[in-house]
Amino acid sequence: MPPESPELLRGTLELLALKALSLTPLHGWGIAQRIDQLSRDAFRVQQGSLYPALKRMVRQGWITSEWRISENNRRARYYRLTRAGRRQLEKETRAWERASAAVNGVLRVRTVEGT
Amino acid sequence: MSLLSDWRERLRALLFRDREEREMDDEIRFHLEREMAERIRQGDDPEAARRAAVLAFGGVEQYKEAVRDARGTRPLEDLGSDIRYALRGLRRNPGFTATAVLVLGLGLGATTAVYSVMHSVVLAELPYPEPDRLFIVVEQNSPTNRWNISTADAHAIREHQQSFEAWGEISRTEAALSGAGAPTRVTVGRASAGYFTALGVNAAAGRLIQPRDEAAEAAPVMVVTHAQAERSLGGAGPAVGRSLTIDGIAHQVIGVLPPGRDALGGARASVWVPLKLPAPVRRGPFWMRGLGRLKPGVTPEMAAADLALVSARLLPMWGDFRDSLAKLTPVPLRERIVGRAGTQVGIFAGAVLLVLLLGITNVATLTLVRATAREPEIAVRVLLGAGQGRIARLLLTENLILSLVAGAVGLVLASLGVKLAIAQLPDLPRIQEAALDWRALMVAFSAAVGSGLLVSLSPVAVLTDRGRLRVDPRRAGTGRGTNRLRSLLVGAEFALALPLLAGAGLLLNSFIRLSRVDPGFDPEGIVSLGLSLPAARYPDAPAVLRFWQQLEQQASELPGTIAAGLTSDVPPETAGNTNNFNLVDRPVPAGESEPVSPWYSATSGYFHAMGIPLLEGRLFTPADTAVPVLVVSRSWATRYFPGETAVGRQLIEGGCYDCPRNVIIGVVGDVKNTGLANESDAVYVPLNQSQSSSMKLVIRSTAGTMAAIRAGWERVQALDPELPVEEATVVQLLADSLSDPRRWTAVLMAFGGVGLTLAALGIFGLMSYVVRQRRREIGVRLALGAEPGSVTRLIVSRGVRYAMAGSLAGLLLTLGLVRRLESMLFGVSPTDAGTIGTVAFLLLGVAVLACWLPGRRAARIRPLEAISGD
Repeated sequence: MPPESPELLRGTLELLALKALSLTPLHGWGIAQRIDQLSRDAFRVQQGSLYPALKRMVRQGWITSEWRISENNRRARYYRLTRAGRRQLEKETRAWERASAAVNGVLRVRTVEGT
Repeated sequence: MSLLSDWRERLRALLFRDREEREMDDEIRFHLEREMAERIRQGDDPEAARRAAVLAFGGVEQYKEAVRDARGTRPLEDLGSDIRYALRGLRRNPGFTATAVLVLGLGLGATTAVYSVMHSVVLAELPYPEPDRLFIVVEQNSPTNRWNISTADAHAIREHQQSFEAWGEISRTEAALSGAGAPTRVTVGRASAGYFTALGVNAAAGRLIQPRDEAAEAAPVMVVTHAQAERSLGGAGPAVGRSLTIDGIAHQVIGVLPPGRDALGGARASVWVPLKLPAPVRRGPFWMRGLGRLKPGVTPEMAAADLALVSARLLPMWGDFRDSLAKLTPVPLRERIVGRAGTQVGIFAGAVLLVLLLGITNVATLTLVRATAREPEIAVRVLLGAGQGRIARLLLTENLILSLVAGAVGLVLASLGVKLAIAQLPDLPRIQEAALDWRALMVAFSAAVGSGLLVSLSPVAVLTDRGRLRVDPRRAGTGRGTNRLRSLLVGAEFALALPLLAGAGLLLNSFIRLSRVDPGFDPEGIVSLGLSLPAARYPDAPAVLRFWQQLEQQASELPGTIAAGLTSDVPPETAGNTNNFNLVDRPVPAGESEPVSPWYSATSGYFHAMGIPLLEGRLFTPADTAVPVLVVSRSWATRYFPGETAVGRQLIEGGCYDCPRNVIIGVVGDVKNTGLANESDAVYVPLNQSQSSSMKLVIRSTAGTMAAIRAGWERVQALDPELPVEEATVVQLLADSLSDPRRWTAVLMAFGGVGLTLAALGIFGLMSYVVRQRRREIGVRLALGAEPGSVTRLIVSRGVRYAMAGSLAGLLLTLGLVRRLESMLFGVSPTDAGTIGTVAFLLLGVAVLACWLPGRRAARIRPLEAISGD
C-alpha cells in the first residue's frame, strides 16, 4: 500500500467527521458508522484515529461535546457541530471541491496528451 | 481557529486531568462495547466480536496517547515535571540553594533598588507638561562659569526676547513665618506670575500669583505648598483666605499648590510670594533665576541666539559691568535639576551592576561545580535517551527557579534599599519619589530571568556535550573544557572585583584626605544662632545695626563666653554670597571679566570667636565709618598680590565705579568657607557697611554648647521675643559637611567588601574542588615522597595564577571605569597608582589565603586512603 500523506489524511478525516455531524449530534462510534455509511466503506481508517481528531476539533471550537444517554441506554459522549464548525465545514468543502476539480482537470489534460 | 475554546479546553485538561482521563476511558470503552454489540447483532459470537472490535479500533493505548497529545497540555506537563525535578534537586542541596539565592538576591535587590532611585532622580520626566521646552536662563562667560541673572537682565529679557511663550523669575530667602503656631524660619520663594505659567502648574485651591499681584502697590499675598497647608493651616481648602505674617508683614493666602509640589522647577520653598521686580539701577547684582517655556518650533540654538542679542543690547547700557564674554544662555531645566546627581547615581548604578555580575559569575561557578557532581546522573539519562534539548531545559528550569526565588528575595531587599536610600541620600533631587513600581518589578523580573540564563550557560555547555560525559563518578568533570571554563569564571570574578575595590579605595583615600583638611578654625565649643530681622519692625539700616550691636555686646558679656561675633555665613559650607571686584592697582583689561570672590559680612568678634588669626594689618573697629574697609583671607592676598602686601590696596566692589573705593586693612588666616575641598579665598566687609538683616551670632564659650545656645537664645528673646532662632554647633556643621562623602565612601566600601568576599569564595570553592578531584594523584605524589609543603604550593600557585590573570583583566576594566569617579574625588587622581596597587595587592593576598586553605588540606591527604579509593 502506498504511504498516504498524514496531512491529507488528518484533514480528510476531520472534514468527514464534520460532514457526519452536520445532520445530527453523534457519539464517536456513531460518527465512525456514519462515515462508513456515507463513503460506502471507501475509507479504511482505524476507528481509534477518530478520537484525537475529535479532541483537536473541540479545541478549535468547531464541535462541542456532552454526555447523554445513548440509543442503547448507556452513557455516551455526543458531539455537536457549532456555528464555527458549520462555517469550517463549508469552507473546507469548497476548498476540497476546488482542489479536486483542479486535480481532476490536471488528470484529464494528461489523459488527452496520452492519446 | 478560536483562541478562547482552545485555551479553555487546554486549561480544563490541565486542571481536571483525572476527569479527562476517566472520560476518555469511558468513551473508548463505550465505543468498543457498542462495536461489539453491533457485531454480535450481525451474528458473531462474543469472543470473535470483541477481537474484531479491538482490531477495527486499532491500538487502544496508542490512540489514548494520541488523544493526550491532542489536548495540547504536553509542554506544560513536561514543564511541571521539570519544575518538580528541579525543586527536588534544590531541596536536596540546601547549602547550595541558600548561598545561590542569597548571592543572587543581594545582587538583584541592589539592582532593583538602584534602578528605582535612578528612575526617580535621573530618568523620570520632570512633572511638567512638555518638560523639554523648559529652560533656565543664566549668565555664562565660559563653559563652566555660570551665574544668576540680574534685575536689568530680567527687564531686558521680558522686553526683547522672542523665543519663550512664557517667562518668569524667582529668588528665595529665609524668613520668619508666623500666624499659624510658633514662628518658624521657612524658605520663602519670590516668583513672578510667568514662572507658574511657564511651568504649567495650576492651583489645587484658590489661585496662583498673577501679574496684578506684582504691582508695587498690590496687597501682599502668598501661595502655600500643600504640605505647608496641611501642616499648619488645616488643609488646602481652609487655608485660602487665611492671613500669615512673613517677617512681620501680613500676607493673605490666595492659593495652595497641588500635593507634592514642594519644589517648583527645582527650587524648594514652603511659601511663594509675588516677585516685585524693581527698576534697575545698575547691571548687577545677579540674584534671580529666570525660567522660560520655548515657543513651539523654537530650538534651543535659536533661543541662545535670541538671548545673545539681548545680551549685546544690554552691555553698553550699564557701565558697572564690562564683561563682553558674558551671555544670557538657556540651559535645559532638566540638566539644572539633575546635574551632578546624574553622575553620582550613575557611579552607584555601575557599582551595583558589577556586584550583580559578580554574583552571577559566582553562582555560575557554584552551579558548574554542582553540575559536574551530577555528571554521572545526567550521563545515565543521556544513555537512556534524553535529548540534549531535554537536558538543557532541565538545567535551565532549575536555574530559572533559583533566580526567580532570588528575584523575590531581591524585591524584599530592594524595598528596604529604597527606604534606606531615601533616608541616607536626602540631598539627591527628587529621591523622595523613588518607589518600587511596576517598572522596578519589570527590572527585577527581567534581571532575574537574565541571571538565570547566564548562570545556566556554563553547565548547559558542559552537560549537553555527550562526548565528554562520564558515567564513572570518579572521573566526572575531568574534561579539559570543563576546567578551562571554571578557571575562566573564577578569573572573571577577580576582574569584576578589582574595579569595585579600586573605587572604594579611591573614595576612602579621598575621604581621609578631606577629613584631614584644616578648616582654619577650632570648632570645639562654638555655637551659632541664625537670625533674620523682619523689615516691618527693623525698617532701616540704623535699626538693624542697633539690634546687631546690642546682641553682640550682650552675648560677649554672657558667663563663660570667650568671644562672640556676628557673620553672614558660618563655615564650612556657606550658602555663598559672591561679588565681583576690580583692583585699582591692576585693573582687568577692558572687555574681560572682573574676578569674583566669596564675600562675607563679619564683625571683629567673629574672628576672635572662631579663632581665625589676624596675620597682617588690623581688624574692623567702630571707627571704620568714613572709608569702606575690607579684610581678606591669606589665600586671597597671595592670589592677587603674590609676594607683596595686600594691606592698604584699594578695589572697586561690584562694578560700582562711582562708589568710594574699598581699602584692605587686614589679612586673616584661611578658612574653608565654601567646603573642605575648595579654595579659601574670602573677602570680609564690616557689619555697618553691609546692612545685612540676616546674620548668625557665633559664640565660643566654656559653658558647654547646650548652655551657650540656651543663654544666647535668652538674650535674643529679651531683645525681641518674636524672632525665630536657628541653632547649630559648629562641630556639627563640620561633621555635616563630611556626611555626603562619608556616605558615598561607605556605599562603595560595602560593594568592594562584597566583591572581595565573592571573589575569595569563588576561588576557595574552585581550589577545594580541584583538590577533591585530584585526590588520587596527590596521594600518589605524596606516596612517592613529595613534600607536603610542595603540594600546598602547587595548589596555591595554580589558584593565584587564575587570580592574577583575572586581576590583570580587572586592571584594564578599572582604568576604563574610574575616570567616572573624578568629580567625586579630592586630592587623589582617579588612576592613583598607590591606591589601585594597594587594592590589587589586597585582592591577591586574599586569593592566596583562599587557596592556602584547600592547599593545606591537600597536603594532609593520607596517600593510602586516597589511592585505595573511597
